[in-house]
Amino acid sequence: MTRRESPDAIADRAIVVDGLVKRYGELAAVAGITFSVPRGTVFGLLGRNGAGKTTTLECCIGIGRPTAGSVRVLGLDPTRRRELSDLRPRIGVQLQATSLPEKANVREVLELYAAYYGIASRAEEMSERVGLDGKLDRQIAQMSGGEQQRLALALALQHDPEVLFLDEPTAGMDAFGRRILWGEVERLRDGGKTIVLTTHYIEEAERLSDRICIIQRGRIVAEAAPAELVARYGGDATVSIAAEGFAPDATLGALGVWTQAGAGWKLATRGEPGLALAAVVTHANTLGAKIVSLDMHRPTLEDAFIAITGETIEETG
Amino acid sequence: MKLLRMFLIQTRAHFVWYFRRDGEMMFWTLAMPVFFLVLFSFAFSSGPNAGSSRFLVPGIIGAQVLSSGFWGIGVMLATFREKHLLRRIYITPMPPWVFFASLVVYRMGLLAAQAIILVAVGAVVFHVRIIGNPIEILAILLLGTATFVSLGTIIGALARTTESANNIASILTVPLAFLSDAYVPIDRFPHAVTSALRLLPSTQFIDTFRDVSVYGASLTHYGAWILMLVLWTIAGTVISARTFRWV
Repeated sequence: MTRRESPDAIADRAIVVDGLVKRYGELAAVAGITFSVPRGTVFGLLGRNGAGKTTTLECCIGIGRPTAGSVRVLGLDPTRRRELSDLRPRIGVQLQATSLPEKANVREVLELYAAYYGIASRAEEMSERVGLDGKLDRQIAQMSGGEQQRLALALALQHDPEVLFLDEPTAGMDAFGRRILWGEVERLRDGGKTIVLTTHYIEEAERLSDRICIIQRGRIVAEAAPAELVARYGGDATVSIAAEGFAPDATLGALGVWTQAGAGWKLATRGEPGLALAAVVTHANTLGAKIVSLDMHRPTLEDAFIAITGETIEETG
Repeated sequence: MKLLRMFLIQTRAHFVWYFRRDGEMMFWTLAMPVFFLVLFSFAFSSGPNAGSSRFLVPGIIGAQVLSSGFWGIGVMLATFREKHLLRRIYITPMPPWVFFASLVVYRMGLLAAQAIILVAVGAVVFHVRIIGNPIEILAILLLGTATFVSLGTIIGALARTTESANNIASILTVPLAFLSDAYVPIDRFPHAVTSALRLLPSTQFIDTFRDVSVYGASLTHYGAWILMLVLWTIAGTVISARTFRWV
């Protein structure tokens, strides 16, 4: 697919990745990826471990050198030394598994990173923002993995970057950490920042992303807004009922496709499953059929993911 | 100003994180050279006479310069890379040379502390006198440091893991210290061996440093060796710069 866009439309894009390929020897970690991220939006790269998400992100921040294709972040080419220097102060990065020096404490790390960016340390404010208030003197070695991740987030945010790259930011975080990170992402997006986030948590991608790009074996297999992915690939909603003496009538038949399995009936519908459920229950009551079990399933992003990739996101066996 | 602040805070961080809060590191850094001095003074002579101690004080300081380069810079860089610390720093606006310079200056601080303690113990216990020209002593120390920092950086560049960096540094440091006139005089070896060992940059550095510091020789007599050390430094710097990977 070739896109023809006006220069204005391109300037609206914080990140443009075009035909990105990254090989390690024979292995193509990324096998031709093209996407762009409009300014002020959250872009989720969703896929299994090893799908190529991290490699893609590394090519955006100058850590990985593309084998082929091009990357522009804020109009700058991270493979060029000069442009990368201009880019660095404008981006914030939370890497997967950032290991900070064990004997360092929170305050010192924030002060050091403030010096890297030539700004005044905002240790108090940042520690509060990531839920580490009162832990400024705590050493890295005494912090849980989740706390270290939250400190890594603070290091990515302290210099107020225009574009934020978060690589599996909540891996290993507890519920508290996830809430903090999700809150920050939403707040930053509302503040007009651009965020690229890799994750293999479907719930996280769905909740945070304006657009989701599903990556499988180094290629993009789908890209759309979460709701659009679900609508397009998630399949039909279903209503299942098991009730003695129940059988759908013509009105119910018009809602979708009915199948019978033993004593149970199952409706697959494109319509609003809540309404269908109400109609099914009303009909069963009219018939005087005693309902044994009742179930409604609305298609989820996970259904869409499975339909698109032919596999679940977690490797099972 | 920004770069200076970056450099100072990073240097302080190295010192606090890897030295002041690490008791084991403090012990090995400050006590081991003195332990070597005392042990070897007794082991290699019939008693604590000024002759062997006079040989040992500059020899041990020289060996520390060597191991600072190989361990303090080389292995440290490999460890930083393996722990993804270099990668994290590479993303920030700090120029890589600022980070490198801060690591070198931190190690030079430790070297200075080691040297001062050794010289003090040598003077008080073994009556070893430093009689050379202070500027010449400092000059040869700085040149030696530059040589072994540049060679040590090659270890940090080529070793893929901390473990392999450790192995390379071990294989180099211990034999070199014994074969480079640091702890034992190499003129006890057959003449051909001694001549060969004098080609090592470690021997050239340690011998020059010893002659200038405790025997009061003038650095101007060591032009050939100084040139060799400079060439080693250039070679080490070029190879390091070409092979070093931040990620």
